[in-house]
Amino acid sequence: MGGMHGFGVVVTPGSGRAAEHPWELRVFALSTLVGIHGIGAGSGRAIREEMPPADYLAAGYYERWLWSTEQRLVRRGTLGERDVDGWVERLRRGEKMPRREDPEAARHAVEATGQAPPLPRADRPRFAVGDRVRARRMRPAGHTRCPRYVRGVAGVVEMVRGVDVFPDIGPYEGPEEPVYAVAFTSSDLFGSSDEGAWTVLLDLYESYLEQA
Amino acid sequence: VSDDHDHDDELALRAAALEAVLVEKRLLTTDQIDAIVEHYERDLGPQNGARVVARAWVDPDYRKRLREDGAAAIGELGYGGFEGGTMVVVENTPDVHNVVVCTLCSCYPWPVLGLPPSWYKSPAYRARAVAEPRAVLREFGVELPAETEIRVWDSTSEVRYLVVPQRPEGADGLSEDELAALVTRDSMIGTGLALEPRA
Repeated sequence: MGGMHGFGVVVTPGSGRAAEHPWELRVFALSTLVGIHGIGAGSGRAIREEMPPADYLAAGYYERWLWSTEQRLVRRGTLGERDVDGWVERLRRGEKMPRREDPEAARHAVEATGQAPPLPRADRPRFAVGDRVRARRMRPAGHTRCPRYVRGVAGVVEMVRGVDVFPDIGPYEGPEEPVYAVAFTSSDLFGSSDEGAWTVLLDLYESYLEQA
Repeated sequence: VSDDHDHDDELALRAAALEAVLVEKRLLTTDQIDAIVEHYERDLGPQNGARVVARAWVDPDYRKRLREDGAAAIGELGYGGFEGGTMVVVENTPDVHNVVVCTLCSCYPWPVLGLPPSWYKSPAYRARAVAEPRAVLREFGVELPAETEIRVWDSTSEVRYLVVPQRPEGADGLSEDELAALVTRDSMIGTGLALEPRA
């Protein structure tokens, strides 16, 4: 969304809270557990971006997570397409929520969220710190980590971050490649501004970049 | 307003139905869900990042380690996990002010800041932070000198960012705990400054 107009002010009443309703954090937990247990297909984030743009913008943040979590479960075959609708009806008729407990499993789930390996070191990066690079012009059909506002613009490599799975191909499936922190000048991205100049830095995968 | 309310009720119902299906099918337990919610509400949050910042303010060696390998140094204080595997820590100085955004989504360093506030995930912040940072900072009540270099970090990869705000003047005699109390969430995103110590 970088550089778009028309979304209004950032700070609004209540905007300092992470969530507005208790169900939102439960959806966050469901989504996290689907990932931990490996019972969903793909990445929630990539799937959320498949929402038609008008729906995406109209939906609340955790509304998108709710949609993507159900999608992941159905696409994996963990749930049938009508399973959730079925329980919506049962709850409407006043049926009680089923409840199961397993304290050890609960402890393991929380422990699992504490595990996150760092990006491995890049052994043979194509670009070096100080190199001038350009973000390629492209029009990817699905998920990408190369924002529109930077495509076609040249910047300078500031750091080599490490290697990571290329995210555009399939979630967690692509080949690994180096990731670079690239510094861009505001006027190259957005033209002149009455704010003067500033620097915008993005972490960009090697495939997005060419020598400038 | 009543339409919004109905819509919220529908979403709450669908969220409950999804939980019910997964519990009924024995794929999840209720207390796993409770435990994750509680962990993210109680254990993770800006109070963790504030401890990291306060330590960096008082311990130059720690500050150095933090700059060299953010996740490892943050791990020394017991924090780490999802959305914190690779951490880059940037420091605000009288000359340079760093601000963090995720224009693509909502990437945020959960272990040190918890889950992001709504404004961080809003289209307005995602659109404007890179394109008019001073106007956005002004909304947060932050007015920087014209000569301050602003560096906006767009979290586009798996790297997550933490800002070490400038240590406020007049905080010399304070303990590490007292310093941590001056470190706000927004000051670690770059949309705020650390609080002034009370005289």
